[in-house]
Amino acid sequence: MTTELELRGITKRFPGVLACDGIDLTARRGEIHCLVGENGAGKTTLMSILYGLFPPDEGEMLVRGRPVRFNSPLDAIRLGLGMVHQAFKLFPSLTVAENVIFREEPAKLGWIDRKGAVARVRELADAYGLAVDPTAKVEDLPVGVLQRVEILKALYRDASILILDEPTAVLTPQERDRLFDVMRRLRDSGRTILFITHKLAEVMAVADRITVLRNGRAVAELDPAATTPEEISRHMTGRDVEPVRAGPSPSLGDVVLSVDALTVAGVHGLPSVSEVSFDVRSGEIVGIAAVAGNGQTELVEAIAGLREATAGTVTLRGVDITHLDVAARRRAGMCYVPEDRHRVGTAAAASVSENLLMGYQRTDTMKRGAWLRRGAVHTHAHRLREDYAIRVSGIDVAAGTLSGGNLQKVALAREMTHEAPLIIAEQPTRGVDIGAIEFIHTRLVAARDRGAAILLVSAELSEIQSLATRILVMFEGRIVAELDPDVADEAEIGLHMTGGRVAGA
Amino acid sequence: MPERIGSRLLGVVGHPVTVALLVAFGLGAVVIALTGGDPLAAFGEMLGGGFTGSGLRNTLSRTIPIVGMALAFSLAFRSGVLNLGGEGQMLMGALFGTMAAIVVPGPGPLVVVVAVLVGAAVGAAWALLPALGQTVFQVPLLITSLLLNYVARATTSYLVRYPFGEPGAAFASTVAVPESNRIPDFQFLGGGISISLFFVLGLVALLAVVYRRSVFGYETAMLGHSGPFARYGGVDVERKTLVVMAFAGAIGGLVGSHLVLGETYRYIDADMIAQTGFAWTGLMVSLLAYNRPVPILFAGLFFAGLQIGGFAMERSTKVSWQLAEVIQALVIVAVVSRLAVTWRRRRRLGEETGPPQPEMEAAHVGEV
Repeated sequence: MTTELELRGITKRFPGVLACDGIDLTARRGEIHCLVGENGAGKTTLMSILYGLFPPDEGEMLVRGRPVRFNSPLDAIRLGLGMVHQAFKLFPSLTVAENVIFREEPAKLGWIDRKGAVARVRELADAYGLAVDPTAKVEDLPVGVLQRVEILKALYRDASILILDEPTAVLTPQERDRLFDVMRRLRDSGRTILFITHKLAEVMAVADRITVLRNGRAVAELDPAATTPEEISRHMTGRDVEPVRAGPSPSLGDVVLSVDALTVAGVHGLPSVSEVSFDVRSGEIVGIAAVAGNGQTELVEAIAGLREATAGTVTLRGVDITHLDVAARRRAGMCYVPEDRHRVGTAAAASVSENLLMGYQRTDTMKRGAWLRRGAVHTHAHRLREDYAIRVSGIDVAAGTLSGGNLQKVALAREMTHEAPLIIAEQPTRGVDIGAIEFIHTRLVAARDRGAAILLVSAELSEIQSLATRILVMFEGRIVAELDPDVADEAEIGLHMTGGRVAGA
Repeated sequence: MPERIGSRLLGVVGHPVTVALLVAFGLGAVVIALTGGDPLAAFGEMLGGGFTGSGLRNTLSRTIPIVGMALAFSLAFRSGVLNLGGEGQMLMGALFGTMAAIVVPGPGPLVVVVAVLVGAAVGAAWALLPALGQTVFQVPLLITSLLLNYVARATTSYLVRYPFGEPGAAFASTVAVPESNRIPDFQFLGGGISISLFFVLGLVALLAVVYRRSVFGYETAMLGHSGPFARYGGVDVERKTLVVMAFAGAIGGLVGSHLVLGETYRYIDADMIAQTGFAWTGLMVSLLAYNRPVPILFAGLFFAGLQIGGFAMERSTKVSWQLAEVIQALVIVAVVSRLAVTWRRRRRLGEETGPPQPEMEAAHVGEV
């Protein structure tokens, strides 16, 4: 096989951080090359260099044997690189098709051929089984669908080297398998795929070759046929990691959260949540499994007080909180780790200490009259930083400088320390590395064991299966199944998540 | 520790504000040279005229409204509320404050207190209009607060011509505020400065502490950083918007009342319309000082000195005083473009825009 892409000795320094330290990487034509590593290992920096976002300090890149220097992503795109970003780079007010064709608009007599564009995008979407309406406005679409649009964008550009930065986070097992089929098809047509992921099962399923990064170095290049997930994980972390198994609940207590016939309005006049009812008891973790965009986000927001319920009631420890504001709900005994940790869970420009204070600022430990107790605020921040091993040089550093996993620890530390009777954890480990996942899972189980009621929403089935006491599956705004995680397997849950139809059939 | 001093010095020299000042004065010098003037002589006159002798006294007087309006702007802006209605809030507060000082009976000092409180209340009420528009009807406050300035101008012009005007006066104005009901001066460098200066200093100190130390300061700062985050943490976003706008308007009303009760002693329509420039200078000062009260005080003093010095410069070097305004504007343009450059660079690193980028090692300078 011929070499498509070669990186030699790529080094990148940022003030105080050596992000990439002499990384070598060779990807051949027609191979799926997995790049794995914990947060902070240098994956994203390396891919950003490759995609022309910034130049390396040292080292060289060769595309098809020719040395290249990229001044911007446009140079990279010209040479056939495509990237599906982890965060979406889309115009909210434009349609899916308009986003996909941006800068590559099909023209007819000098005008944009909109019909042609929609048809082409629909064709691509159908070909790869990505359920997206090309005429839908991006701002109306939930997170999971946006990812599909990003994938479509790269596919539309027919890139010969495709970088996928954790594309599977919001897909069901069936959709994920379909994406893998797409990837294999692309590979078989001679394209090179660089696949960034944290999930070792995915690596084992699709990789032709694996490069493991740790602390800015390429520590291993492995052949999936000759390695095991345990070995990869050892290379990633430098130690052995055991997946957290929740074990049986100690004992079920009283009902803490009771949701009764809750309905939430959605776009286009259809409810996003329809008459959903369930209870969560003290000492149990109830997992909600759903494909992104099936109402689970709206359901959680309605429970947390960020979205108006149109009908039904939410009761917390016997108190009707359906119409209370966020502060009152928190006082009633709720904490919430939100899905969007960058926009909702934290404020990037605020310091770590300020981020850790949010929600406590009106408690008597943190304030006296109208004034904050500065000592208490600092002690609190230092304690959480220590307890949750948040890697940061100081508590006055802006939260925006933290990596995904560390930022999630900030949000989690803050919420968990409330010791609230109800914990809502929404995608608590998305985009977080193995070490941090283990840590977060341990904390959730510990909270359950002390008697918290936990509502866990996750697109990560293995997470729900290993942690949840009961699994509720949502589809199109309704709860369509209640399953026992010890009995139901991934295929069965996935089937319910897609409305009982076998995906791709 | 010479290195530390060195690096601190580098920090000051490389600071966006220093760079902005150098760029602004550099470009100003080019303009002066092109028009046949001597830049060094002109700048010498400008600084000497603004910061020595009676010039310093005038500068301090002018600092009062500039810093006041800057504080009003900062209060809202740091909470993510872009209040462009400062001039309207100032005008409305000024006129009603003046009328109160004219019509309310009683001992002088008490009437002054009542009058400025009326001014503050009317300024707050005027500011609440766009705030309510945003929180109740989702009409962007940025637009309405700006447009209400024109309504305020027209309304005050009408009121001062007809119901509140002095009959038979040559120009549209109220009658003079009785001498007992004026804000007194203190003597400094051979002339008077309104004691409002001390209230402005007090307000700077108060806001500096409130911003940094109070629950209100914390919650509004978080609101300014991220609306969704504040809402999620239990901050009542709508209420906070109303409260900061009311306070901002109240400060505007206080400044307006001062301009009449402490300076001109009668509300003169044409005069007051000209004074609206303070709202915009205040906005620039707040931007230059990143909305922080103590830096606002120094930046306000500096801009006031530039304006006063500009007049001195014109008198002695024939360089037009408008150059002072040009320099002010250049400082702001330089600061803002410097911010924009930083922003663009961060954007290229991928840590900004839209839903921000998860795990971007590039930016993790804070991690150990």
